[in-house]
Amino acid sequence: MKLKEIDRTAMQAWSPAQNHPIYLATGTSAQQLDATFSTSASLEIFELDLSDPSLDMKSCATFSSSHRYHKLIWGPHKMDSKGDVSGVLIAGGENGNIILYDPSKIIAGDKEVVIAQNDKHTGPVRALDVNIFQTNLVASGANESEIYIWDLNNFATPMTPGAKTQPPEDISCIAWNRQVQHILASANPSGRATVWDLRKNEPIIKVSDHSNRMHCSGLAWHPDVATQMVLASEDDRLPVIQMWDLRFASSPLRVLENHARGILAIAWSMADPELLLSCGKDAKILCSNPNTGEVLYELPTNTQWCFDIQWCPRNPAVLSAASFDGRISVYSIMGGSADGLRQKQVDKLSSSFGNLDPFGTGQPLPPLQIPQQTAQHRIVLPLKKPPKWVRRPVGASFSFGGKLVTFASVRTQPQQGAEQQLQQHHVRISQVVTEEEFLSRSAQLQQVVQSQGFVSYCQKKIDASQTEFEKNVWSFLKVNFEDDSRGKYLELLGYRKEDLGKKRIKEEKQESEFLPSAGGTFNISISGDIDGLITQALLTGNFESAVDLCLHDNRMADAIILAIAGGQELLAQTQKKYFAKSQSKITRLITAVVMKNWKEIVESCDLKNWREALAAVLTYAKPDEFSALCDLLGTRLESEGDSLLQTQACLCYICAGNVEKLVACWTKAQDGSNPLSLQDLIEKVVILRKAVQLTQAMDTNTVGVLLAEKMSQYANLLAAQGSIAAALAFLPDNTNQPNIVQLRDRLCRAQGNPAPGQQESPKIPYERQQLPKGRPGPVAGHTQMPRVPAQQYYPHGENPPPPGFIMHGNVNPNVATAQLPTSPGHMHTQVPPYPQPQPYQPAQQYSFGTGGSAVYRPQQPVAPSASNAYPNTPYISSASSYSGQSQLYTAQHQASPPTSSSTASFPPPPSSGASFQHGGPGAPPSSSAYALAPGATGTLPAAGELPASQRTGSQNGWNDPPALNRVPKKKKMPENFMPPVPITSPIMNPLGDHQSQMLQQQPSAPVPLSSQASFPQPHLPGGQPFHGIQQPLSQPGMPPSFSKPNIEGAPGAPIGNTMQHVQSLPTEKITKKPIPDEHLILKTTFEDLIQRCLSSATDPQTKRKLDDASKRLEFLYDKLREQTLSPTIISGLHNIARSIETRNYSEGLTIHTHIVSTSNFSETSAFMPVLKVVLTQANKLGV
Amino acid sequence: MGEMVSVINTVDTSHEDMIHDAQMDYYGTRLATCSSDRSVKIFDVRNGGQILIADLRGHEGPVWQVAWAHPMYGNVLASCSYDRKVIIWKEENGTWEKTHEHTGHDSSVNSVCWAPHDYGLILACGSSDGAISLLTYTGLGQWEVKKINNAHTIGCNAVSWAPAVVPGSLIDQPSGQKPNYIKKFASGGCDNLIKLWKEEEDGQWKEEQKLEAHSDWVRDVAWAPSIGLPTSTIASCSQDGRVFIWTCDDASGNAWSPKLLHKFNDVVWHVSWSITANILAVSGGDNKVTLWKESVDGQWVCISDVNKGQGSVSTSVTEGQQNEQ
Repeated sequence: MKLKEIDRTAMQAWSPAQNHPIYLATGTSAQQLDATFSTSASLEIFELDLSDPSLDMKSCATFSSSHRYHKLIWGPHKMDSKGDVSGVLIAGGENGNIILYDPSKIIAGDKEVVIAQNDKHTGPVRALDVNIFQTNLVASGANESEIYIWDLNNFATPMTPGAKTQPPEDISCIAWNRQVQHILASANPSGRATVWDLRKNEPIIKVSDHSNRMHCSGLAWHPDVATQMVLASEDDRLPVIQMWDLRFASSPLRVLENHARGILAIAWSMADPELLLSCGKDAKILCSNPNTGEVLYELPTNTQWCFDIQWCPRNPAVLSAASFDGRISVYSIMGGSADGLRQKQVDKLSSSFGNLDPFGTGQPLPPLQIPQQTAQHRIVLPLKKPPKWVRRPVGASFSFGGKLVTFASVRTQPQQGAEQQLQQHHVRISQVVTEEEFLSRSAQLQQVVQSQGFVSYCQKKIDASQTEFEKNVWSFLKVNFEDDSRGKYLELLGYRKEDLGKKRIKEEKQESEFLPSAGGTFNISISGDIDGLITQALLTGNFESAVDLCLHDNRMADAIILAIAGGQELLAQTQKKYFAKSQSKITRLITAVVMKNWKEIVESCDLKNWREALAAVLTYAKPDEFSALCDLLGTRLESEGDSLLQTQACLCYICAGNVEKLVACWTKAQDGSNPLSLQDLIEKVVILRKAVQLTQAMDTNTVGVLLAEKMSQYANLLAAQGSIAAALAFLPDNTNQPNIVQLRDRLCRAQGNPAPGQQESPKIPYERQQLPKGRPGPVAGHTQMPRVPAQQYYPHGENPPPPGFIMHGNVNPNVATAQLPTSPGHMHTQVPPYPQPQPYQPAQQYSFGTGGSAVYRPQQPVAPSASNAYPNTPYISSASSYSGQSQLYTAQHQASPPTSSSTASFPPPPSSGASFQHGGPGAPPSSSAYALAPGATGTLPAAGELPASQRTGSQNGWNDPPALNRVPKKKKMPENFMPPVPITSPIMNPLGDHQSQMLQQQPSAPVPLSSQASFPQPHLPGGQPFHGIQQPLSQPGMPPSFSKPNIEGAPGAPIGNTMQHVQSLPTEKITKKPIPDEHLILKTTFEDLIQRCLSSATDPQTKRKLDDASKRLEFLYDKLREQTLSPTIISGLHNIARSIETRNYSEGLTIHTHIVSTSNFSETSAFMPVLKVVLTQANKLGV
Repeated sequence: MGEMVSVINTVDTSHEDMIHDAQMDYYGTRLATCSSDRSVKIFDVRNGGQILIADLRGHEGPVWQVAWAHPMYGNVLASCSYDRKVIIWKEENGTWEKTHEHTGHDSSVNSVCWAPHDYGLILACGSSDGAISLLTYTGLGQWEVKKINNAHTIGCNAVSWAPAVVPGSLIDQPSGQKPNYIKKFASGGCDNLIKLWKEEEDGQWKEEQKLEAHSDWVRDVAWAPSIGLPTSTIASCSQDGRVFIWTCDDASGNAWSPKLLHKFNDVVWHVSWSITANILAVSGGDNKVTLWKESVDGQWVCISDVNKGQGSVSTSVTEGQQNEQ
């Protein structure tokens, strides 16, 4: 394909290969005259700009020369010039002169462009060549057999290769050998070629065809084979190219007879030795393989002869040909259509008719010259065989799983006529591993998940922490796996509950000292002063006035206590007034505490006090709002500009167990692209998820978008390191996030397994696109894949997947199904939408009684497909997901088939409140929904309804084992169905307390309040009068007389002994199943031990602990009653009992540790820690 | 460093001439190879094995490249050849057959690359005729062809698609609506240029950028997979021995800056990104493969010399004999 055209009758020389851009120099030819018979001459330089599609070549410089040229070459030898253009132009003139030009100066437009010249030769200098090894050496040939070797560095005195050949002849061609630098060949028109050895300074061989009809017009050495060269003949009678090998110099090795008339020029490609160009008087330009004689290509030319032809040294596909019709053409031998070019030119022509200067260059367009051959519309075929430079010999491509596919051909030097080399063509597949540390840490993490050694893992991380923050994070994470997580959190925040407890005790003592003064007689004064007025008001039962009077007189305590007697409404008003008046620094805190408005603390605290706010939340917040509050605080910290606070938000999210937000916050703070920093994050996420799973037994199934992205990123990284199995293990398998599902499929298949679900349809993960037109989009396609593969791939129980962090929750695919309200469209495709509706029918009945669903419904995310079958849809959908879990738990605990999910989830009401320990369903999937709870519930008319859930929620004292702290979340359902009042530890439970208190107090209450009236808004602040006032436990300003009743009702007072009264009361009332005889020994043994300890313990704190333990062991006894404990735990407990009998407490502790480490945490967390306390005490006291 | 790359499978392809490309499928379980012997072969290489699945004949010249389509379209392989043809092969009931032949180029087709699967089944083909053609499957066995003429004078050597990135966040996309992808690809050619092409709203392809840094033919371009970062990255290699890493941080996608990874002594034929876009495999004319990774300070470091003398291990005997002649 023709690329460019220059209308010159000229010799041509390409710039050396090193030079960029590519230039073409032309010098007026000495042997042709154009029609003007002008003898003026010029040297021009053009740039080859292939990005310009036009046929014009950009002229860079023109130098008017006094010489016309027989030969022009461009050597790479660096002369003194400093321009971009390298090398030196060497021209052979008409009168024995050789002129050296500096092309950079020509381009720069200098006047002085000649570096040197020498006219030592006789006659025209027709032959010139540069030694490619020593580019300062130039050979030249002229008449009289003259050959000179010029050193460009010392141009004045040339050398000779040896004695002149005789008889004297013109030297038409000269060429340096391409392999051996001191070998030079020359040829003359008579057909003889002489090879010179410059070291010997003499001709070493003469090559001559016996026909004597060779008329040498061209000579070229083989680019690769030192001993081979070709000679071209100009003679029309012998238009051949002879290939000679000097090792067999008696006759040509091969004769190429492809031209019909004499050959005028040849050029051998340096880039591919199988490409030899030749042009002849038959007006053909051929490209042949001199090694085979085959013509590979015939360039389409006009009918004119070409007298010079050159390969472009830099661009191996480009050649130039100078023809007698006064034109230099630049061609590509890669074929292709010139349609585009022509089209452009036509456009250019037509546009130029209307405007002679369409480009605004200030110069009119040159005369239009339509190339003659544009008439021919033909596609130019490329070379028959691809040139060497397009044959890629080597390659390396990455593929999935960190594999690298490589191939490389051996570099061969094809010998002339050599057989195809017997070569094995191999492709290698290698595994590339670049992140050793990442892999080993990942393996560690996997191992930890497998062995459940979270605490020691966290401890290791704490020890290895480089920064305080890192240490904090790990400490917080560790707490999740320890007893009494809230208490430990507080300690981490710098608040020790023991300290508080001590202070508290002191306070109590002081209080009690005041108490006796309340005795004695008193007189009732009805005088006119305030006291008298109050008395009058009281005597008339006008509490409101009495309170007002007290307030007016700043008798706050009197006012409040009167208000209590005056009823809820009055108390509430009074509280408000009190807070309005009170201006103490901590008023807001007190307000928040009394009003149970933790949200207020979290929302409005100074962020510098985030620790305090978090501490308050940890202390007071009910489990169902705990997470939301932590979240809220975290969000505030995060949204603060301060980067330090931002990172602290992570701690809040850890407390909240909010994996998704942790990921978001962490990602913001860290550079997640680095594998190790991703590893840092994933370690935390995995551990936190595990913790949430253990302690909350809640929906770790939900994988948020961000987490999914991070996890798939992580899995991708693992996969990229070749750890496919590990990648699969870490990939959450209970989500249908498209990227995760796709990755899972990819990983499975990459493992060499048949893809999941292949039996049914070969391409589960992608809706197979036979006709991609109008396809529904990839996301829709993906929804079909998730479940079936997961199930088939990892049938539960057998051949479990490599340990991921989803050990439990993942088994029931319906869990994921039910929890995808975000993708409503998928609901229909999912396997069994609501597989267990039956068990929940009774649930609804229960809830009707308690109204639990009525309370929660408004806050439930509305499930998309509310159908008639499930009137309680919001509940059902979440309940069903939990039932899946509870089913699972049951199965695990009892090692029995999970058939009785309803019984497991909803123990019959009489089975006592303790049944919640083993975890029924009920936790809302999203804790955030509950953030609104306090406000929302306040508007509800249903009186004793909400409390049920709150009761249960707050039933666990904040110093309960962690599982209990949060378990209530998933317990709500059963709790709702349970009869009246919870039994134990109502300390945190304002409602329960309040109720029971009210029940007790009612008869003595001076105001005729019905029992109904005492319940109406128990969740409102007014419902907890005592707690409200008493709450600031160490407030010196507290009226001592109030302390007594208050203690019982403190909504979160972290003191053990205060709960005793209340706790003991209801428990007795409930008729429980008997403990099976065979396990009665456990109860008697443990109780006996506690009694023994109590009798020998001296300090009150220990006693309190033991008392508490005694209460808490009820959990165990309840479990024994219900027979829900697994045989291993039971037998372990018996072992402990036996060791107690032998007073071998340390053995008991060992057994204890064993049980805890081997059993399900949530199953044992209610009582095992307490048992440990007892054993430890017993051991200490030596009873 | 040595153990960083370990050969886990050596596949004897039984090709009768030089291999020009070898590509694994999406899962890394099947290997497609092509050769100057005009054939395309597919091997099952699971578990270190090598089972020849198909020996595809149909090209009449050396086959330069093969490209696997995303599996959501079935088992589909494209190949391009010096014979100016692009052939799309498809496995149907366990048998591989030619499903389409594209003969729209006037010269060697040097490169084929499938668009991100999100766009549908679209193949970009770069040819020595200077043109780039885009084949889009429109259903019922029909392929629509768009052609960019004169993309690279005297030849396009490589095409590589930009990963599918939706402008803005994915979450903002209305569900169910087809995301508004901006389709882009890069090409490299004998005009020493890298060009970035973008599909206009009217479906026409327009040159968006010219990246100039190479001083000789651009042999290969590789757009790095997206790893969720806003930066776009392209690797390019050239006849001039240089490998550049081009990055673009701005949202408009127009400010590209090159960074020289290394200047080799010989032509660099091929660059390939790891799936996680953090390692670049560079195949050079000295038949060496090196792996490069960006260090923390932004410098590219050679982390491995993969197959020093690969090929010479298995063929050293024959090579030696040749040299003794």
